[in-house]
Amino acid sequence: MEDNHRTFSRRDLLAVSGLSAGVLAARPAAADVAPPSSPLVSPVSVAKVTGYDVDLVAQLNKMFDQIGGIGQLVRGKTVAMKVNLTGSSGTGRHVGLSAGQTSWVHPNVVGALTAIFARMGAKRIRILESTFRKHYGSPLEDTLLNDGWDVQAIKSAAPVVEFEDTNGLGQAKQYSVLKVKSRPYIFPAFSVNHSYEDCDFFVSVGKMKNHEELGVTLSMKNLFGITPELLYGLLPKPPGASQWIRERVFHYGQVAPPAGVPQEIDPKSNRYEGWRMPRLLTDLCGARPIDLSILDGIETLIGGEGTGMPGTKHGKPGLLVVGRNCVCTDAVAMAAMGYNPRAGRHEAPFRLYKSPKDHPPEQLIPPEEWHQYADNTVLMGEGAGLGTADLSKIEISGARIKDVFYDYEAHWKGQAPV
Amino acid sequence: MNCFVALALTFAVGPALCADPAGWIPARWEGGPLELSRRANDKTEDASVRTTIGRWYDPATLDLLEGTPINCLLVTFSAGAESEVERKQHQLVKEYARLAHKRGISVLGIVYGGDPQAIAAAALDAGLDGLAVQGGVPEKLEAALRANGSTALVIPIARDAAAARTSKARLLAVEGVRPSARNLADEGIRAGASDEPWIDSNIWLVRSFRLEAAWRPIWIDQRPNPTSEGDYVRCVADAALAGGRWIVALDDELRASLLRKDPHALAAWRTIGTYLKFAEDHGEWRGFAPYGNLGIILDTAGENPDISDEYLNLVARRQVPYRLVSRCDLSAASLASFRAVLVVDLASPTEAERSVLRGFAENGGLLMAGPWWGDGAAKNEPYAELPLGKGRVAIYKEDPPNPEGVARDLLDLLEPEVMGLSVFNVPTAISYASTSDSGKRVLVQLLNYAGRPIERVTLRFNGIFKVARFYTPESPPMDLAPRPAANGRTEVLIPKLAAWGAVLLEQPN
Repeated sequence: MEDNHRTFSRRDLLAVSGLSAGVLAARPAAADVAPPSSPLVSPVSVAKVTGYDVDLVAQLNKMFDQIGGIGQLVRGKTVAMKVNLTGSSGTGRHVGLSAGQTSWVHPNVVGALTAIFARMGAKRIRILESTFRKHYGSPLEDTLLNDGWDVQAIKSAAPVVEFEDTNGLGQAKQYSVLKVKSRPYIFPAFSVNHSYEDCDFFVSVGKMKNHEELGVTLSMKNLFGITPELLYGLLPKPPGASQWIRERVFHYGQVAPPAGVPQEIDPKSNRYEGWRMPRLLTDLCGARPIDLSILDGIETLIGGEGTGMPGTKHGKPGLLVVGRNCVCTDAVAMAAMGYNPRAGRHEAPFRLYKSPKDHPPEQLIPPEEWHQYADNTVLMGEGAGLGTADLSKIEISGARIKDVFYDYEAHWKGQAPV
Repeated sequence: MNCFVALALTFAVGPALCADPAGWIPARWEGGPLELSRRANDKTEDASVRTTIGRWYDPATLDLLEGTPINCLLVTFSAGAESEVERKQHQLVKEYARLAHKRGISVLGIVYGGDPQAIAAAALDAGLDGLAVQGGVPEKLEAALRANGSTALVIPIARDAAAARTSKARLLAVEGVRPSARNLADEGIRAGASDEPWIDSNIWLVRSFRLEAAWRPIWIDQRPNPTSEGDYVRCVADAALAGGRWIVALDDELRASLLRKDPHALAAWRTIGTYLKFAEDHGEWRGFAPYGNLGIILDTAGENPDISDEYLNLVARRQVPYRLVSRCDLSAASLASFRAVLVVDLASPTEAERSVLRGFAENGGLLMAGPWWGDGAAKNEPYAELPLGKGRVAIYKEDPPNPEGVARDLLDLLEPEVMGLSVFNVPTAISYASTSDSGKRVLVQLLNYAGRPIERVTLRFNGIFKVARFYTPESPPMDLAPRPAANGRTEVLIPKLAAWGAVLLEQPN
């Protein structure tokens, strides 16, 4: 099979051109682009952390100080944490490891954040994630028990701690419609669980991982989990469509969202997931701006977002990355993972191997081509005006990247025959 | 009684030979010239191992059994080899069996092949308590033994579990798998983001032989991986959890090390003994009845026995407690205590059977059926869920449906309260629930197939229980703190599960 990723094709040229155009177009033309809630350029703190048993409260407090403090933003407010629990059943594991050591954020990180926000005077702390379940209604706490979380300890870390499974309506009677406030690429708005609207300070607590289709998954990618499957999956599965409900609508655009839910701006746009998903994630970050990004790379999964991906390995990068702006934070995190945050298609980590067994044939472009690309989500975010991915403009505090970086790509090499 | 008289009586009688096969705790104890001959083509064995095997029937090896519950040895006896080798082996075994019997240990000869008449005569001469048949025709052996006036037991080690399931023998032996957990992704198999590790287990297999209420011994025959930490204790527990017994099988390196009195080997051997003793000390648990609100109709004469078995295996892996109903026992009465019934692979159901199943659903049960059910089969989805009377029926499209999919779907179709038992944080463990005293005592056993302990396992069970005690082979029993959970359930937290653990919940009297 031809290894196309090593050559620069016309398709790549067009892609880069498009990307540049996107960046230029993203310069706020003002009226139609509302400013994000966090500054476009914001400091990012990086720390080397030896394990989950260290004093994470002290560590995170120090990092918050390094990015200018968040106490004023949290005091008296409802703080919502969207935690990354990939797969969300709690059963996806590597033998002998907890999900918190691989594909999920670790409960000690979430517990420490809860305690910190409580001490800062948060009025209410809400922990959110959308879980895969046909019969919606089991409490999110049960999902967390599936990875051995001490839910009671987290609840007792603050006066008011609530958990909500945002895969459906939850406690509300209707979904909240969040309009994309940045320049929208694919969707002008999203319908989501009320929790993403009913909060004053929104925190994306992501895991520093590779991603099978997107190269990396960080704080921006974490927001894919705010889309409620029970709403977007209302329509029956058409023949040949993906078995995964949200993939039908979002990754591949095989199915339009149900009536009454915001539709795509251009239903005839590119259906390729490597093109769609980075743009969709940017739209989500524009719809529900992230006030604080926390990235858990203390222990993680290398080579994919979930333990089911072939060749994934457990790693101990020993990294924590914290920032107010999600684009800046993810860009710095990429650098700490050994990647160029300005990398383009077919550059690491955006050159990807996709088995034809697991992807619809139309996703292999050209046909039979397994070495695919994804666009760079942080550059899409930059293009949409959410922040900068230019490291030279970002103040990085704490540890120096060159001292702490962990070469994910070196480990990922085993993931695919590239 | 005068203590001297008591002592004299003890010596006169010696250790009691366990005559009842139900009490046999077996171990493969292969050795002698026939074993060497049988392995002649195995180039992997080094000289020291061959020496160990060749000399294994030295009386000193019987000393290894002291302090362990093992009381039944399976010795190499016949392989259809050269007559001189077979003769030497028979003489060696005869003397070894005599010494073993003095210690109260029963001896079974392993038969890999050979002439039934000659084997029967030799077994009789050697005073064997039975023959474990790994090859050949057990029926001919049994006939030859009886013709010689022997009452020795003949135990076929079945390769085909489905065929053995209908056996009325008082002791069954069946080949199992090596218990283990592994990552599918390590083998290049692409799974979903949250797919579980693959577990090879024999718990379902032991359970599948419990179609009748009375307990009978089920022996599981498989060889552990000597390089995998904790494999031996998992083998013991994996067979014992549902009331079976592993035919203890030590790898040759360990046997050689034991004879050298290597401390690591002796420690491993002691741990095996601890697990075996734990199983026997809690023999009462074998009398507990399997728990489950899901009934699985087992067609012992089904067309796809491997797939039928896979339902049992994978449903157990998803921690869904179930009880088995033999197809021949299918009736409204036999389904009365269930809330859901899985009957996806029933071959050519009769009208009477359909009527029973329809009645079950109409009265409020969930019926999971194959496309044989007829109307309403799914088109695009794996199954269609339709109301039927007060209940519902899930009709699968595929015939037979994919066992992995069916097992996964159960978690969607059954509410936690219907399943009765919910177990959290057990990706590499399998649970087995059983009850006694009309449900006043509930036993939830778990086995962790990973080499590392699992921290913080949570159990929830239907009903209110005031006492919860945690049993493990490694430590004394520990009281847990049961607490009420939603919907009339009780929750307990197990702080750490190393390998085998059992929670006994008790209701107040």
